[in-house]
Amino acid sequence: MLNKYSCLEKLAARRKDEVIITCMGTAKPWEKLSDTLLDFASVDSGMSHAADLAHGLAIAQPDRRFITLNGDGSMLMCLGTLVTVAQRPCENYVLIIIENGTYEVTGNQNVPGSSFIDYQTIARGAGIEKVYTVEDEADFDHKLTLVFEEKGPAVFIWKVAPGQEPVPLFRDTIAVRAERLRQALVG
Amino acid sequence: MLSASKIHDALKEQGITHIVGLTDNLCRVLFQSLMDDPEIEVINVSREGEAFALASGLHLGGKKPVVLIQNTGFLESGDAFRGTSWNMKIPQVILMGYRGYKSLTPEVEKKDSVAEFTEPTLKAWNIPYYTMLDDADIGMIDAAFEQAQSTSLPVAVLVAETTV
Repeated sequence: MLNKYSCLEKLAARRKDEVIITCMGTAKPWEKLSDTLLDFASVDSGMSHAADLAHGLAIAQPDRRFITLNGDGSMLMCLGTLVTVAQRPCENYVLIIIENGTYEVTGNQNVPGSSFIDYQTIARGAGIEKVYTVEDEADFDHKLTLVFEEKGPAVFIWKVAPGQEPVPLFRDTIAVRAERLRQALVG
Repeated sequence: MLSASKIHDALKEQGITHIVGLTDNLCRVLFQSLMDDPEIEVINVSREGEAFALASGLHLGGKKPVVLIQNTGFLESGDAFRGTSWNMKIPQVILMGYRGYKSLTPEVEKKDSVAEFTEPTLKAWNIPYYTMLDDADIGMIDAAFEQAQSTSLPVAVLVAETTV
């Protein structure tokens, strides 16, 4: 089982100018590691739709890479996104499903089906060819390069131990943060 | 009846780059017309809530999308719409098939419940809207874009007749 915080630290260390989109249990931990104009917390947003937002961004900006840190609870709420992504593929689109089996920010209740769900099979069945499940640190280190270099769409499933994050709160509204991202991308 | 080609032209005049949506019977001719246009990319979503998030992403990335869905799909979208287009203050124009509009007339006995909910829901969500009934109304599209741009908030245009 991976440690989410360690994974995020390693991701942050490798990251250059990719846009990182976070939500729920990754939003505040990622903010501590990186808080630039290219970091966007999809918080106080449509739950489960960070991956769709990122898809639109990736289509609009094909020369920039977009990496979404999605929770498994969020992913389960909108599985159709995987098909939408597969049928309109983007090489610059990376979706990381951080699978801890729980709804972390509401007290670690189990995500439905967490004991048997198989996101790798679901993603491949949805039409996404490049799907990688990562369960230990050695494999994580080995596959981290792919997060930045694989021609997408690519889905990574990080099997992590549950953490304990509160509901993420941000000083600026999502409208302010969205406009900031837009200015960074479009000018 | 509403002319799909005239609606198509009105959208092109606005510089639309993308249509994001899920087709319905009222708009299927319009949908096909847009899909046949090499200058506009149509992105089909699996469920309508995705359309608002995806369109928001396109906007933030510098594109000019229109969401094209049915009123049933809008009701389904609820929080997806609130959390993206609304909260992010996206000047999003939504073309919405108005299923059941004709059932709202008093003499029609069987109402389509989605039609009964459509306008009250738009009002409850503070979404300004226009209702197109015939080709004379197609100018509402320009008005919707102007309003969305000036308020930086979503505006809906209801397609209450079949596009042909």
